Amino acid sequence: MFFQQIVNWVHTLSPDVLTKGLRVVVTAALGLLLVRLLAVVTQRYLMRKSTPQRRMVVRKIIGYSGFVLVVLAVLGELGVKLTALLGAAGIVGIAVGFASQTSVSNIISGLFLISEKPFAIGDVLRIGTTTGIIQSIDLLSIKIRTFDNLFVRIPNEKILSSEVTNITRFPIRRMDLVFQVDYGQDLSRVQRVLTEIARDNPWSLDEPDPVILFTDFKESGVEVLLGLWFAKDDFLLMKNSIMTDVTARFEAEGIRFAHPRRVVRPDHPKRPGGAKGGARGEGRASAKRASAKRASRPPLPRGRLPSRSDSARTRRPPR
Amino acid sequence: MPHHKCLQWRFPARSIWVERVETEWHVLSMPERTREHSAFRRAVARSRKPASSEWRHYLHRAGGLMQPSPVLPDRPVVIRPDRALTLLPGQSTVFYLGIPVWFRLNAAGTRLARVFDEPLSVLTRTWFGDPVTGELCWGLATRLHHSLDSVDVSADFAVCPLMVENESDTDLDFQKICIHVENLSVFRGRERLWTNSLHAVFQGPDQVTQIEITHEPPGFEEGLVQVSDARQPAPGWNIRRTFGMLKYFTDF
Repeated sequence: MFFQQIVNWVHTLSPDVLTKGLRVVVTAALGLLLVRLLAVVTQRYLMRKSTPQRRMVVRKIIGYSGFVLVVLAVLGELGVKLTALLGAAGIVGIAVGFASQTSVSNIISGLFLISEKPFAIGDVLRIGTTTGIIQSIDLLSIKIRTFDNLFVRIPNEKILSSEVTNITRFPIRRMDLVFQVDYGQDLSRVQRVLTEIARDNPWSLDEPDPVILFTDFKESGVEVLLGLWFAKDDFLLMKNSIMTDVTARFEAEGIRFAHPRRVVRPDHPKRPGGAKGGARGEGRASAKRASAKRASRPPLPRGRLPSRSDSARTRRPPR
Repeated sequence: MPHHKCLQWRFPARSIWVERVETEWHVLSMPERTREHSAFRRAVARSRKPASSEWRHYLHRAGGLMQPSPVLPDRPVVIRPDRALTLLPGQSTVFYLGIPVWFRLNAAGTRLARVFDEPLSVLTRTWFGDPVTGELCWGLATRLHHSLDSVDVSADFAVCPLMVENESDTDLDFQKICIHVENLSVFRGRERLWTNSLHAVFQGPDQVTQIEITHEPPGFEEGLVQVSDARQPAPGWNIRRTFGMLKYFTDF
């Protein structure tokens, strides 16, 4: 029924209208087909050895400009005067230009990014607090897939004006571990053990040399920096193995990590005679009792830190 | 390969176990700690095969054959001599380098399929060149032998003869030598494994070092048989960064 209605409607049209309609359809179909063909030929044969990023940019340029040309050709077939349209477009363009400043800024930033090539598709980027793999680089934005599988779109303007770290640009990287060893450890032994750990780790490169630095005297211990070079693809293996290695070897060698701790040494109670606590003799006896109690208390196991209750007991004034 | 049996290839630092069960090949690689340089193969009853969760299983058509062969590592090897050595201008010498070999198991049939590829000794990873343009290599600390007699006969090393000529006016310090072993074949002799010979001409620190690879078996032993091809063909291999100098790397 519907089809019959369309046929009846077509019969009512004049031959001129029918011819024009047919030409419009053919122009649009052929034009779009030509644009598509041009994009495919360019990608497959002319840009076979180009980077994915460059191929994508060329494909989009061909696609967008081809589409505009096809639309103009169709409008020409419909008898729309392009000069009048362009005049109107100038007025509309001013209005649209004001409204689309951000978009234009992003496009220009995108062109800069494409020409500067600070990163490519597949690189791992860190921008602000976002770290992930680049999925695409477009004229308006780049798309990133984070390691917890989130899709993040970052406008090009923001990328151009902020600090961007390309983590996988170079083939090798250095992993820095910073930790503290307890005061009282033999630092030359610590250095020897760390050298052996670096040498024995299967993912650590022996060239460039590992970096072992005693960087600072901290509140609880000596700060150590262990920097190991590795191939960029081995990040996870390296991270897990080196943490395990350091912990196991330190345990085996009896090297203690530094932990935050406070040592509280209470003053001996020296109160003037007849003070609040009672007679001086009573105070001394109480201190002796407290001292004897501390002495009878079993010693803390090696490596255990004094707990809050220990400190509280230590600080408690003698009765 | 006999049914109901396991085959064990035992090398100084590694044992390879292979077993055929109907259409499957079961392969196990285990580290060894022996001081012997020799290797042997033996058949072991299935009941005595090592129990491990590391067995790998490969499907293959029934009746297929397995072909074990020694191959060279899959990356360049950087050799660090255990002592400083300098070749004076106008001099030449031959070094015999011990290159660690890998164990490869091929499944023979209408098409040779690689099943298993495993290093027989522990290799360290190293980097040759600057951090931006260098390349990932295997590291090997060894002695640069001038005489073949001083090279230990070992089943897990192949001898690579390297002739070096210093045609420059400067001393040539051997601190590191990078050998692109992935372009070399392996030959079997009476006692040793061999690789193709290399001929390097050093023309100065600011000149490229020309390396020439000899495609014939090295002439140090009669009747060498090629047992494996190079992993990669070597077109244009004759110019490479090869010598690591004290302050720079020769580059092109």
